[in-house]
Amino acid sequence: MNITRIALLLVIVLILPAPVHAQGKAAHKDAYLYFVWPQDGTVIKGAFWARFGLRNMGVTHAGDDFDNAGHHHLLIDVNAPLDPSEPIPQDKSHLHFGAGQTEARIELPPGKHTLQLVLGDAKHYPFKPPVVSKKITVTVK
Amino acid sequence: MPGEIHHIRQGRDGSYPIDGSPRRLAAILAADISGYSRLMSIDEEGTHARVKRHRRELIEPTIIEHHGRLVKSTGDGFLAMFDSPVEAVRCAIVIQQSMVGRNAALAREQWIQYRIGVNLGDVIVEPDDIYGDGVNIAARLEGIANPGDLYISGGVYEQVKHKLVCGYQSLGDRQVKNITDPVRVYRVLPDPAAVVKARPMPGLAFAVIMSVSLIASAAAATATWYFFVWQPKHLAAERLPAQTPVATKNPVTAATPQPAPAVNPAPQPSLTIAPPQAAVTPPVQPPASQAISEPEMVTLPAGTFAMGSNDDPTEKPIHQVKIKPFAIGKFPITVREWNQCVAAKECTNKVTGKDDAPVTNVSWNDTKQFTEWLSRVTQKQYRLPSEAEWEYAARGGTQTKYWWGDQPAVGMANCKGCNEPYDATQPMTVGSVKPNPFGLYDMGGGVAQWVADCWHKTYQSAPIDGSAWLDGECSARVIRSGSWKNDMNYVRSANRDNYDANVRYPTHGFRVARSP
Repeated sequence: MNITRIALLLVIVLILPAPVHAQGKAAHKDAYLYFVWPQDGTVIKGAFWARFGLRNMGVTHAGDDFDNAGHHHLLIDVNAPLDPSEPIPQDKSHLHFGAGQTEARIELPPGKHTLQLVLGDAKHYPFKPPVVSKKITVTVK
Repeated sequence: MPGEIHHIRQGRDGSYPIDGSPRRLAAILAADISGYSRLMSIDEEGTHARVKRHRRELIEPTIIEHHGRLVKSTGDGFLAMFDSPVEAVRCAIVIQQSMVGRNAALAREQWIQYRIGVNLGDVIVEPDDIYGDGVNIAARLEGIANPGDLYISGGVYEQVKHKLVCGYQSLGDRQVKNITDPVRVYRVLPDPAAVVKARPMPGLAFAVIMSVSLIASAAAATATWYFFVWQPKHLAAERLPAQTPVATKNPVTAATPQPAPAVNPAPQPSLTIAPPQAAVTPPVQPPASQAISEPEMVTLPAGTFAMGSNDDPTEKPIHQVKIKPFAIGKFPITVREWNQCVAAKECTNKVTGKDDAPVTNVSWNDTKQFTEWLSRVTQKQYRLPSEAEWEYAARGGTQTKYWWGDQPAVGMANCKGCNEPYDATQPMTVGSVKPNPFGLYDMGGGVAQWVADCWHKTYQSAPIDGSAWLDGECSARVIRSGSWKNDMNYVRSANRDNYDANVRYPTHGFRVARSP
């Protein structure tokens, strides 16, 4: 019992000086998230491989709580602003790559679509400040 | 409990069958068929005919043979009284053993199994019925018995222990509903083979049965073994939940052992063999919690349905799927249910949330730990439902977009835009909104739910026998139902999505399934 208490106290003491987690870990100041492919304005025929680029931070599994590392999320045709205090949503327009994937096979109906990457932390929260790519527009024929 | 005694005179001239006091001491036998409504849902006419035949060929003659009287029979059970507790227990054993023989040739889902309770008590006898605590306790004993089992009260045990050579497993004192004092309960093991089967060391078991006096250590071993291995199974007495629109937020907690009265030392479960005076069982330290709260299940009949829709490319093509009967959780697994697995150190994911909230932030791999643990402690094969089973259950016999029709409706599901007020931060506790026609809650909205299948982006070449689709790329598994954070479109019965099997996400939960 005593050991547990001491351990608990130690944990509390260790955690307290740091900002209480929950909402977003600190991003690296030079983090840069981008699409290797496609690029803004690309015209694509059929399904394609989207490739994700990240500089000055690392890609890891969701759940791994290392500093300076996160996992990719691909936002398709999302217009709503990103809420930094909530986990990145999980639905058909917010694709998660929690296994540490850096590319994905994407199939979209013909027409114009926007794509944007958001880096999420171990608990799927955006970093502070959010690490996001430029929102690009592609045309699927 | 005077409230339980009905002083209703039965027609006629109100006379009692016995001169003087209508009260008398009697051994009461209460029996019912386990899973009767499930049997009726599978085969109503066949079940009814079989039950009637059993009553005519087996139950009525056996009661008469043992000098008893059939007081009344209900659709799924009967009540009998005997002058002698020995005869009552003998009668019960004959019925249970004959039923084993009758079921042997049948498929398991067609088995008719009685649960029987026998109690000795003072009862009020009227021409058509009997009343009193003595009857109520018999009925409660029957209620906590497992299918095919016979439970007797301490009073009956005292009378029969020297006269009937069979095993008696003490289950300790049980608090029964509406009865003030706890009732000592014994499970009768009429067949020595059952005792052998129930023990890890057959040789020792046999010796135990044969020996007149039990060696203390053997008794301890037996007790411990029963306690750890058999007890959870017994305590988790399954109930077929009624398909009622009233939400039961608490899953059935079957026969939770009650604290013993302060004056008595805690009763220890033990196996005693007649003559039982030799069965001095040394105290066994009980584990902190031996009873687990098992998820409430609803058994669904076999059927064929059109799976999929044309609303999304992933839901095509619509295809006919044949489903075998199976049971599925009435609610998603709750935080309380999950935490039992954490407490048992079998689930590694320590979750947060209110007890009655659906468990969230569990990965597909996490759910495997849970179903494996639950199967082990209940001795039942719990698993995730297949994607086909999930959609069959979600549709509840409908072919519309939602189980209630084609139009979005307010108050039918827990999702963004489904209800007011809307709390985006957490799911509603399970069972907060209406159940579907199968009596299942939160099949659409609430928490997204893992199913067994590996992800395939369409139903092209999907299985049509209701089994899980397990070939191909299995790093991503299917999630169904949508969550409280998704909009109405995700509540549709056919909606499907996928997620990495080893990744946790705060809106993902699950419900369990098993064969009936």
